[in-house]
Order: sequence, then C-alpha cells, then structure tokens
Amino acid sequence: MIENNFNRRDFLKVLGWGGAAVTLSGCGFTSVQDGTETVVSYVEPTEYALPGIGVYFNSTCAQCDAGCSITGRVREGRALKLEGNAASSINRGKMCGLGQAGVQAHYNPDRLREPMFKGQPVAWDKALGLIDEKVKTLKGDDVAFLTGGMSGHVKVLFKNYMDALGSKNHYVYEAVSPSVVRAANKKAYGVEAPRLRLDKAKAVVSFGADFLGAWVSPVHFSQQYAQFRKGNRPEGRGVLVQIEPKMTLTGANADRWIPLRPGTDGVLALGIIHALAKNGLSVPADVAAAVKDYAPERVSQETGVSVEQIGKLAALLKTHTPSLVLAGDAAEGYQHGSQNAAAIALLNRVLGNVGKTIEAPANVPFPQIAAQGGNRAALQALNGKLASGKVQMLFVHGANPVYTAPLSLKFKENLNKATFKVVFAHYMDETALQADLVLPLDSALEDWATAVPEYLPEGAQLNVQQPLMEKLHAGTRGTGDILLALLKQRRANEYGKFDDFYAYLRNAVVSIKGALGGGGKDEDTFWAETLSEGLVKLPGSGGNLSSKASAAGLHFPAVVEDAAYPLRLIPSVTANMRDGRNANQPWLQESPDPLTTIVWDSWVEIHPKTAAKLGIVEGDIVEVASKSGSIKAQAYLFPGIHPDAVSVPLGYGHEAMGRYAKGVGANAFAMLDAVSDQETGELAMNETRVKIGKTGQRIIVIKEEGVAGGKQAGKKIAARLASDKVDLSKEV
Amino acid sequence: MSVSNLLENWSKVRHTHPVGDVPHEEYKWAMAIDLDACTGCNACSVACYAENNIAVVGKEKYAHGQAMHWMRIERYWDEDEREFPDQGAQFLPMMCQQCEAAPCETVCPVGATNHTADGLNSQVYNRCVGSRYCSANCPFKVRYFNWWDYPDQENAWPDEMKQQLNPDVTVRTKGVMEKCTFCVQRLTAAKNMARNEGRLVKDGEVQTACQQACPTNAISFGNLVDAESRVHKQWKQQQVELAEDAQAKDEYFTDLRGYRILEDLRAYPSVMYLERVRESAI
Amino acid sequence: MGKDIREDISWAKINEDVLRSLESPRRLYWVILLVAMLAFSVGIGCEVYQYNVGMGVANLDNPHVWGLYIATFIFWIGMSHSGTLLSAILHLMHADWRKPIYRFAEAMTTFSLMTAGLFVMVHLGRLWQFYYSLPYPNERALWPNFQSPLLWDAMAIFTYLSSSVIFLFIGMIPDLAICRDHLHPGWRKKLYTLLALGWEGTDRQWRNFRITYLTVACFLIPLAVSVHSIVASDFAMSQQPGWHVTSFPPYFVAGALYSGCAAIVTLFIILRYVFKFEEYMTLPILKKTVRLTFAIAMVWTYLNAVEFAAVWYSHDQAAKDVLIQKATGPYAPFWWMMIFCGSVVPLTLAFKRFQTNIPVLFAVSLLLNLGMWLERWMIVAPTFSHGYYPWTWDHNQWPSLIQWGMVFGSFGWFALLFMVFCKVFPSVSMYEVKEMVYHRRLASESQAAAKGAH
Ligand SMILES: Nc1nc2c(c(=O)[nH]1)N[C@H]1C(S)=C(S)[C@@H](COP(=O)(O)OP(=O)(O)OC[C@H]3O[C@@H](n4cnc5c(=O)[nH]c(N)nc54)[C@H](O)[C@@H]3O)O[C@H]1N2
Ligand SMILES: Nc1nc2c(c(=O)[nH]1)N[C@H]1C(S)=C(S)[C@@H](COP(=O)(O)OP(=O)(O)OC[C@H]3O[C@@H](n4cnc5c(=O)[nH]c(N)nc54)[C@H](O)[C@@H]3O)O[C@H]1N2
Ligand code: SF4
Ligand code: SF4
Ligand code: SF4
Ligand code: SF4
Ligand code: SF4
Ligand SMILES: [Mo]
Repeated sequence: MIENNFNRRDFLKVLGWGGAAVTLSGCGFTSVQDGTETVVSYVEPTEYALPGIGVYFNSTCAQCDAGCSITGRVREGRALKLEGNAASSINRGKMCGLGQAGVQAHYNPDRLREPMFKGQPVAWDKALGLIDEKVKTLKGDDVAFLTGGMSGHVKVLFKNYMDALGSKNHYVYEAVSPSVVRAANKKAYGVEAPRLRLDKAKAVVSFGADFLGAWVSPVHFSQQYAQFRKGNRPEGRGVLVQIEPKMTLTGANADRWIPLRPGTDGVLALGIIHALAKNGLSVPADVAAAVKDYAPERVSQETGVSVEQIGKLAALLKTHTPSLVLAGDAAEGYQHGSQNAAAIALLNRVLGNVGKTIEAPANVPFPQIAAQGGNRAALQALNGKLASGKVQMLFVHGANPVYTAPLSLKFKENLNKATFKVVFAHYMDETALQADLVLPLDSALEDWATAVPEYLPEGAQLNVQQPLMEKLHAGTRGTGDILLALLKQRRANEYGKFDDFYAYLRNAVVSIKGALGGGGKDEDTFWAETLSEGLVKLPGSGGNLSSKASAAGLHFPAVVEDAAYPLRLIPSVTANMRDGRNANQPWLQESPDPLTTIVWDSWVEIHPKTAAKLGIVEGDIVEVASKSGSIKAQAYLFPGIHPDAVSVPLGYGHEAMGRYAKGVGANAFAMLDAVSDQETGELAMNETRVKIGKTGQRIIVIKEEGVAGGKQAGKKIAARLASDKVDLSKEV
Repeated sequence: MSVSNLLENWSKVRHTHPVGDVPHEEYKWAMAIDLDACTGCNACSVACYAENNIAVVGKEKYAHGQAMHWMRIERYWDEDEREFPDQGAQFLPMMCQQCEAAPCETVCPVGATNHTADGLNSQVYNRCVGSRYCSANCPFKVRYFNWWDYPDQENAWPDEMKQQLNPDVTVRTKGVMEKCTFCVQRLTAAKNMARNEGRLVKDGEVQTACQQACPTNAISFGNLVDAESRVHKQWKQQQVELAEDAQAKDEYFTDLRGYRILEDLRAYPSVMYLERVRESAI
Repeated sequence: MGKDIREDISWAKINEDVLRSLESPRRLYWVILLVAMLAFSVGIGCEVYQYNVGMGVANLDNPHVWGLYIATFIFWIGMSHSGTLLSAILHLMHADWRKPIYRFAEAMTTFSLMTAGLFVMVHLGRLWQFYYSLPYPNERALWPNFQSPLLWDAMAIFTYLSSSVIFLFIGMIPDLAICRDHLHPGWRKKLYTLLALGWEGTDRQWRNFRITYLTVACFLIPLAVSVHSIVASDFAMSQQPGWHVTSFPPYFVAGALYSGCAAIVTLFIILRYVFKFEEYMTLPILKKTVRLTFAIAMVWTYLNAVEFAAVWYSHDQAAKDVLIQKATGPYAPFWWMMIFCGSVVPLTLAFKRFQTNIPVLFAVSLLLNLGMWLERWMIVAPTFSHGYYPWTWDHNQWPSLIQWGMVFGSFGWFALLFMVFCKVFPSVSMYEVKEMVYHRRLASESQAAAKGAH
C-alpha cells in the first residue's frame, strides 16, 4: 500500500538532504536563528528534528496560481513560518499576506481527514476501488474532469489518466482569471501572457488591472512597482494612472485615479489615441481612420472622463515613453470585453510599447508540464454538457464550482445529473457536499508536486513543491499519489514500477536533468540540489512577439440602461479572498480589507452621492438584487466608486467549508447574470445590473478605520509631497 | 545587593535615553518606512501574526476594538471634500515606534516595559501586572492588551493551529500588555550568533518579519549605529536626527521626505517615515 | 443664629445618648445593613467573573484601556478628604462646631480609602500579581519603577490610610474608656478595655493626649493634600491631551474636599435620623457645614474655569480638541450634567432658607456627589476616546454591566463598613461634645454675670 512504501525513513532521507543542502548553500537566508540553545521537552524526537534548531526547506506557495517560491521554517518537525525564496524570479524572497496564511491551510482544524462515500467514511482501497468499478462500466466520453488551472507533473498524470479512460472532457476552470485578456493578448501579440515590464515603463496606465492586489502575479508586480517608483532609476519615478469604476488597491496607489463609466474602457482607449494623433503622434493610417470618430467631446460624454483629463492622459503618454497600458478585470468583464482589451492593445501598439515594456515570455521546453490557465467558459461548457445528461462521471479537482457558479447557470441541479461525482478536496466545501466520493488531499506543505507558473517574468522555471513536515492526518493523500494509484488500476505495467508519486516525480525530473541544465551532475546530487533550491530554471529559448493589434472591427455598443436595475454590480476580487478558496484561514478574515478596512464580513460599496439619493447610511443592511439573485449585506459609503456602480467583494458567504468561512458574509458569485463576452464566451463579470434597497436593519460596520474616518485632523501622520517639491535622485 | 542594584538600574534607565552625552554603543535598532513604496497590501501585518503568535480575536471582539494586530495598516483619504479620491489613498503601516524616550516606559509601575541597551522598548510579559498605564500614555496607541485568555479561545488557537506557534515567542496570557517588539527574538538570535563569532551583526543579516515579507521593500530595518547599514544611510541622507524633537531641515524649505510622526512630543521614535510622493503633472 | 448645641445637656445624658447608639440596633439599621451587603455581593460577583474570564468583560478596548474603575477610584480618594478636613484642619482652626461630627467624618476617610484601594486592585489585568508594584526585597533584586506616578499613588494611599487609622484611633481613646466603664462584661468590654490603653483621664494622660493628637493632625494635613495631588499626577504627569494639565493637583484637591463635604452632609442627615442625634448634630452645625460646602463648590467652579481657560488659550490643539469633544461629543450629556451638578446645584446652598432644610439638603448633597463622580469619569474617558492619534479615536466605548456592578458594589462595601463602625464605636465624640457644652456654659454664665453687674 502506498503510504507504507512511502515510509518515513525515505522521506527523512530526502528532507535530510534537502535540509542539509539548504543550510550548506544557505540560500541567502539568515533572518532566523539556527542553533540557539533552548531547552525543549522531547521524549521521542523524530529523527530529523533537532530540538531548538530551525531548518529551512524550499517549496512553492499553493495559495494562488502565481507560483511564488517559498522557504519554510521547520522546528521540532513542525512547519512554523513561510517566507519567500530569494532564488525565484517571480517573488525574489517576498510573499503576500495570502501566501503567509498558507500555514493556516495546513494546520486548519476543518481539513478533511478521511475519504467519504455518500457521507460515510470509507477506507482508501474501497474508495479507489469504487472509482475502478465505475470507470470500467463507462465509455471515456461519459467521464469528465473539472480542474483548476494546472501545470507540472500532476498535470501530466491527470492527462495520462484521462487518456487511460479515453476521456477528452477536460474542463480547466478558474472563477477569477484574466481569460478575456489572455485571448486578446494572443490576438495582439501572439502570446497569452507577455512579460510586462513596469520596471522599464515611465508611465503605466492601467484599465482596472489590480496588479498590486490580486491580478495575475501580485507579488512580482509589487516588486516591479517598487522599481517603477524609484526616483533614482534612469527613467525617474514612474507615473501611475488607474482607470476603473471601482477603486482597487492599485487605484489607491495611483498618482491619478479616474472613475470611469463601467464598460467604456475601449472607448476611452480609442479617445486617447485620437488625442495623441491630434498632439502630433504619428499614428498608422488604419488606426487613425478607426479612431476618427472618437473626438474628446464624444468620448468624454460616453465615459464620464473630462475632456481636460483625456488631454492630460494623452500628454502624459506622449512625453513618458516607453509607457505601458494594462487591461485588467474591470476592462474585460463585459459583453464587449474582448473589444475593450483589443482597443487597449491597440493603444500599446500606437505608443510603441510592444517589444519595449511588453516582451515575449520564455517558451517552456516541455509543453506537457507548461501551465494550462483556467477560464470561466470551461464551466459554462461543462454545465451545458451536464445539463444534457451526457456526463455520467465527474472528477473535480482544485475548484469549487457549486460555490463559484452563478445561480443563473443552475449548476448544482445539472451537477446532480451526473451519477458518480468524485471530488478531490481539502475541506467539506459546497462542491464536496454534492459529491458521491470525496478524496481528502494532503496540504500543500505535506505534498509533492511541481509547477510551471503561467506568468513567467523571466526565463521559464520549474517550481518544486516538497513536504515541509510529515502529514498531520494519516487519512489524507497527495493528489499525485491518488492519480498514480488510479493509473495503476489502468496501466499497471507502465506505472507499477513507481512505489509512490515521490518515486515517479524523482524519476521524471532526474530523467530530464540534461534538459534541466543538470547534465554534469549525478542523479542524487542533482535531485538534492533541486530540492534544496526549490526550483529549476529552465534553459528554454526566449519566445518572440508579434505586434498585430489591429483597429479592424472595433466597435462599442452604446451602454443600454435598465430602468428596473439602474446600477452596475462590480464584483471585486480582493487580495485576501480572491475567489474564496482560502476563506477558512482566520488570518485572512481578520486582515482588514485595505480600502474599506472591514473584517469578517462582506460589504456593499456605494458612492456617498448614490447613497444619499437612496437614503442609505453606513451600516444599513441593504439588499442588492439582480435578475438572477440577490444578497443582503452591510452598506459601506465609499468615495472610490462610480456613482452608477456598486461593488461587493467575492469570496465570502460560504455555506460550508469550515468554521471561519461558513456564514461569514454573502456570496456575490451567486447573483451574477449569465452574460458572456461575445468573442470568447467568457462569463462577463461586470455585466450584472442590480437594484438596491434598504431592509430596515442597521448595524455597526466592523472595521479597522475609527470614527475619524481616515482623516488626520490636521496632524502630519501620513504625509505626502508633490513630485516637483522633492528630489528623489540622491536617495539611498 | 538590592539597593546597589536599584541604583545601577536607575542610572541605566537614564543612560539609554538620548540625553546626548551617552551614545548607543554596539546597536541601535531603527527603521525607515517608504510610504511611496508601501501599497497598503497588509502582507507585513499577516507576517507579524505568523512570526509573533498574535491571537486572532474573531468578529465580535474585533467589533469591541480588541484586535491584537501589532502592525496595523491605516488608510487615509484627502481631507478636502472632493467627490472622488482621485489622488488615491494614503497607507501607513503603524506599529510600536520604539521611542527612545518612551512615554510608556516611565509610567509603568513595575518596570515591565523598559528600554534595552540596543534601543528597543522591551515588554516583559512575566512582569506586567496589567495596569494599562503604558497604553494610556502611548501617543501612537500601538499597545494591545490581552483582554481575554486567548490561548484558551477556540477561535484564536484550536489545537491543530497551536502547532504553528513560534517556540521563540511567548504566547501571552490574559491580563498582560503586548506590542511590536521589532521581532526581538530574531535580533537576540542574530546577536548571539555574531557574539559567538566575536563580531557584530552585519547589515541585512537580520530582518524583521514585516520587512522580510514586504513585497515592495518599503520597510528597511537595521542598526543605526552601523554607518554601513541602509537604515543609517537613509536617516543620514534624510537629515533626520534621532534625539531631536524638530529637525533642522524642516526649519527652511527642503526637498527631503524623511519625517517622524508626532515628533514634537519628544518621544524620539526609532521609525522614520518617507513621505508619499504624488505626480503633479497628471 | 441658633446655638450649635444646648449648654444645659448633662454629661451623663451625653454618655447615655451616644452609648445608646451602640446598643442593640433598630430594624431600620438591619435593613440598611442588609441592603449594603446585597450591593457589595453584586460587586463581588462581578469581580469573580472578571477575574476568571478576563478584563474583556469590562468592555474596555484598545486604546480605551481605562474606565469606571479608575474614575471611581479617584472618587473614593476624594471622599476620604472630608474627615481630614473636619477632624484635622478645623481642629487646628479651633472650629468648635466640628466636634459632634468629626468622628464619623474621620471614619469616612478611612473607609473610603479602603474602598478606593479595591478599585486599584480590580482594575489590574493580573490582580494575582499586584504585589509586583510594591517595593519588597526579593531574590531577583527587582524593584518597582519609582518613576511611575502609579507607584507614588500606591505609597501615598497606604501612608494616608495607616495615618488616618491611627488618627481615628487616638481621637477615640477617651471615649473608648467611657465605653469600657459603662458597659456590662462581655466581648465589647474586653475590646474597649484593650483599646482604651488603660486610660484613666489623669492630667498627664490628657496633656500627652492633646500633644499627640495635635501632632498627628499636623502630620495628616499635608498627607491629605499630597495624596490627591499624586492621584492628579497620574494624569498630569502623563502626556495625554486633557490630562497634561498643570492645575490638576489643586483642582483634584478642591474636588476632593468638595465631594468630601457633600458626603458629610449626606451622612450627617442619615446619622442624625437613624441614631436620633438631633441634640448633637444640630441644624446650626449643619448650616456651617453647608456653608463650607458652598465655599468649596465655588473654588472648584473657579478652578474648572481656570483649566478650561488654560486649555483654550494654550496652543495645544489636541487638548482643545478633547475639551470640545467633552462639550459636544458622545460624552456631552454627562459632561454638562457634571457642570450642572457641580456648579449650578450648589447655588441653592447660598440661600438661607435652604441651608437648614433637611430634605432639600439631602437631595442637593446627593446631586453634588453625583456631579463629582461624573467629574472623575469625564477626566478619564474623553481623553481615551479622542487622544493624539486620530486613527484610534473611539467614541463608541461604553462600560459593561460588570463595571457598573462594581461601582454599585463599592457603595455597598462603604456603607457596610460604616454601619458596622457606628455600632461598635461611638460615632459622636463624647468627650469633645462635653468640652463643647462646657465652653458654651462658661460663655453663657459670663454673659449672665455681666448682666447681673448692672
Ligand atoms: N520550556 C522549557 N523551559 C525550561 C525547561 C524545559 O525543559 N522546557 N528546562 C528548565 C531547565 S532544566 C533549565 S536548566 C533552564 C535553562 O534555561 P537557560 O539557562 O535560559 O538555558 P539556555 O537558554 O540554554 O541558556 C541561556 C543563555 O545562555 C547563553 N550562553 C550559552 N553559552 C554561554 C556562555 O558560555 N556564557 C554565557 N554568558 N552565556 C552563554 C545562550 O546563548 C542562552 O542565550 O531552562 C528551564 N526552562
Ligand atoms: N539542545 C539543548 N539540549 C539540552 C539543554 C539545552 O539547553 N539545549 N539543556 C540540558 C538540561 S540543562 C536539562 S535539565 C535537560 C532536560 O532534559 P530532560 O531531562 O529530558 O527534561 P524534559 O525533557 O524537560 O523532561 C523529561 C520528561 O519528563 C516528563 N515529565 C514532566 N513531569 C513529569 C512527572 O511529574 N513525572 C514523570 N515521570 N515525568 C514527567 C516530561 O513530559 C518529559 O517528557 O536537557 C538538556 N539538554
Ligand atoms: S501571490 Fe501570494 S498567494 Fe500567490 S503564490 Fe505568491 S505568495 Fe502565494
Ligand atoms: S507589506 Fe509593505 S507594502 Fe504591504 S502594507 Fe506592509 S509595508 Fe506596505
Ligand atoms: S510607540 Fe508607544 S509603545 Fe512604542 S515605545 Fe513609543 S510609547 Fe511606547
Ligand atoms: S500594563 Fe503592564 S507594562 Fe503596561 S504599564 Fe501596566 S504593568 Fe506596565
Ligand atoms: S517588527 Fe516584528 S513585531 Fe514589529 S511589526 Fe514588524 S513583524 Fe511585527
Ligand atoms: Mo537543567
């Protein structure tokens, strides 16, 4: 049986190596004490634990898909704290708050501890046996897989298992992902995730890309941002303009935050091109033709951005080259989201940023381990197939669709049309509750895996995720081990030789060590170094970029108002909660939302003007209702939002999952209208129209901000200087 | 001998205050926080929870103003009543300023909060009787009192989560005061190691948890006595003097960003902030 | 005006009347005692709960870390000044009229100090470690922090308590002897025999007695002044806006004498009724006390004005903000109530017809004490709610029932001690009343003689 083979001694050997190598190579890590004398009580020390001595193991953060490399401090065999691994080009030794909370995913009291079949605990053999019997009775096409974005060797095993079953139905789903922009990038640059070089840009104009908070690779972008803001770099301190209907963390840090009428991003982009052309920037003929109707007056009238402001933007972009224009969630979440993204790409082309601040990403030499980003269309597709009853058996991994799917999709009903549902899960979450068979997973700090992040800021890199300590619960298993066991059922001859996923992984990595740049080394050394580094830089060639963003076919439907539902719902993706998969980690619940400073609840952001019209004051419990559903939450009067919009954070309002998540706030996914982007079919996150009404209830909003309401009472507390009043060039 | 001990300690108390004549010897820990780099992301705050065994108090107690965040991120808006905050917000990471002449120290009846030779405002949990006078006299209100017995609170540390607690940091029981310590456990360890190797701690050798986490490197921390340390250079370049209640540079127009909060109260904070910058062109 | 006391009361009658107050109590006494006990047990219950669960049950928060405990602590310290004023200060001023009432006033001093002490304790987060704040020799050679006003507090209070106990005791010795001689054998007789220290009333004893009493009185007065100045420095020595006020020590002392006098008026009326002391606690004496109270009320009002003016004309914006906050913020109702009770209500005492109107005086004296309690609360709370650091301003903090429960309980505790005292010791000084009567008689005889000479 697997966990017997996967016995402690091997495991320790590995860790011993990894650990030793770490402490030898030191991996630039000196912040915490190794070897201070402390008397500790230890009757039976585990072999590898040196009482009182912290050992460091490199691994990979699994709290989001950015793929930051981490270093875990382990003492007395317990993982205590995670810090960034300086060797990674993604996070260079840094981490976000969400990542810090990774230890709470691991030690979480609500983790699943044993397989469950129809609500009853079952042994692993039985569980895997059930799957075996079931798949025997089915054609490959009757089986479908719904997974989150994936990469590395777990992805390989998934694919192989699907092949073994002869199933082509792999739906890769991320409830929150830049999937429209991905497609637009593909069209404009020939790649889905070009490298964005804020550090080289003199000005960044971001259409709702919250790259400091929750967008793509926040820790990496935060570091680039720090570079970008440095007054003593050759380009001087960069200027950031954020254009979005709801202020994000990035917006809060901008030199100028521009509230935009929801959905008019593309119009404004073309308007800026128009203004640039007027200011004498040479613009290709086709583009000039395309933008000729976008005179400032009209654009201003449609977008709500003043003519003067448009002029300033054009002037800024003209003088500050190279610049970088970003399209984010706020721009893509509409029926014409692709159009918005395309218009913004066009702006980049006109400004000549392509190749300067927008660079080609490195190719990943091994496509089978390259990242496969999830999108929202996948869920809609699967939903259709489920509805038609074509799916007999469904595997779910790394997703919680019952929670994240809008009610308008009727996903839950359709899901139950499948006769056998297998869910890989950490918690008994909303989806696991619907499953016939629930397979409890090891935590990311117990499990083996590899990952190739989708966004690669420099060369391609293969991240290693290794256990920092022994399993907390005997009854959980690693995803890799489960897949291997399933594969053995089908392809014993091929996989029988691997005792466990660790053996498989070691073999898989070591067998390509040449390609991974470890040609000279013997296997053990190479493997030990790989583990101690926590990542391998892939030598892969730099890819190339095309600049074919075209003005052809750009057109923007006039914004149609809906009298019954006068307001726009902008679901916000917060750095703490993202899509809600980490909602059961108390540090995140208690860490105030940076902008509202609210904790332990969701809220409805309303502009004071709108609130005044509706007679709403802070703390009123309001009902936000769309055609598809409604939620009740506390109102928070927020100046950083367009008066025609209200915003509700995603990730709250779980009905299951655990003590820290359940019943905290309301689920904004549920009320989204099933409107999609016309080109990509992606769910348009910002297309939902809502009306808002008071319930008569009123509470005191629980937040960090005090009665002074973010005012400094004339004291010099958080001080600010105008850029022309300060000399940054000589700064240390 | 008690009395002589009393007298010695007494002179020590005076000694470490910046009365000028006695400079810090080997170490004077200090910080510089660049508000132009700080994005208000809260990573530092969570890192502090992770490093220092800070209790999660839960919704109800948070509502009662009993949160324990040693590092809190404050968010300010422009005060002119404009319709939109179109110049963004102002974020401020605020934790114990490790004042050189700490108002909290002089008032503590039992001397549970003291000044260390390396310029920290130490907090001795075992000695604290919980009079809360220190908090009453702290201008920055960065002291957090254990109103409840958090180690026994289910939502603070269920058994599984107890395993995450950092063994180098005491878990505080009910009735004692706590606050940011500049991660003293890390400093002590680094100093021990350096001492065993017969040298002083080098710049960058020890990081506080918040500094370590900060994605934008907004926080720099180090030994102000060490002329090679980044913190020393920053303070010097910004012309901020530790033992001044008003900086010479502020007398006349200056294009420097360095300042300390509520400096005129003569607490002599060890944390220098660098002003946020706003582009005037756009 | 009427006589303080009739000059024709026979000394035997004085003994009789006063000693009667020591005999088996009336029902009313038991009622009061029972109520006091119940009130006190409420306080006990609250403390036990708080001790076990944590200070959180008081519903204090960061940074609003002090609440009613500290406020009520100051209030009781203030109370304690009444006794010293009447017994010591007026004694030195040879104000004869104090004689019938100083004894219970002095007892008040002792008991209110004992009550104040409780609040320092229940306020501590770790009551079980309170002794850390005492300078006792210990193997670790750890001392308390002599810089902390809180430490001075502890010392001042202990000194004041011990001295006033001594003062109270010394002043009672002749009376204890009387009790000893008039009581039938039993535990009381034993007790008095012990405490009377073999008093025989010889000239030598009287001479020594007078000197000792005078000396302790002189020693007590500066203590009384210092103890409340030191309580004031808990605030004045801090750096907080609204506290960092130079005039606090005299302001606190005035407030103390004020609440002390008001309390005397209250208890005067109660005792006079409960123990039928109309003969001794006469209206003219009451009138004098009331006038004294009025004078002090005006001093307090003046010092208030001084403080506001000082704040207002200073350039300390933070302090100004706190003052404005007091007058307009969430505490405004209490703050104005304090002004009303402290400065307006006493004006009634200026009118002759009220100076002897017992129901009115009773009501007024209670209002004055309410005002003085509010004053202490208004010193403590607003500074926390609106201090230097705007981010942590906290206007919504409200004391929990636990806090109120202990405040309530403290009055039970005080009443309990006081009622017991009145049954065990003569609450009116017999020998001094006799002196008084004697002086009056001499006076009237000399007048008569003068008439006869014509
Ligand atoms: N949780 C827990 N606490 C315990 C115990 C336990 O089992 N569990 N055991 C108790 C027992 S039995 C003991 S003996 C105590 C020990 O308690 P401590 O005496 O505190 O033991 P250490 O922390 O090992 O040593 C204290 C300091 O001595 C320093 N040191 C090391 N070598 C030298 C040297 O050569 N010279 C000087 N000057 N300093 C040096 C170390 O750096 C360390 O900082 O702990 C007691 N406390
Ligand atoms: N790295 C390092 N190692 C050290 C030291 C150091 O400083 N650093 N210090 C050394 C020193 S000074 C000491 S004293 C030793 C201490 O080392 P040990 O002598 O091993 O002491 P402990 O491990 O603290 O306690 C031994 C066991 O006794 C159990 N125990 C507790 N109470 C009782 C009881 O009432 N009855 C019984 N039967 N068992 C009980 C505890 O649970 C524990 O499992 O460690 C030594 N080892
Ligand atoms: S961004 Fe944060 S959560 Fe995501 S991988 Fe990096 S550290 Fe982990
Ligand atoms: S981690 Fe850095 S950027 Fe984030 S809030 Fe803290 S100081 Fe600011
Ligand atoms: S900031 Fe407050 S707690 Fe810290 S040293 Fe200064 S006064 Fe003391
Ligand atoms: S709470 Fe503790 S540290 Fe603070 S003053 Fe009181 S005893 Fe000292
Ligand atoms: S220095 Fe250490 S203790 Fe202080 S805030 Fe930073 S992490 Fe927390
Ligand atoms: Mo020991």
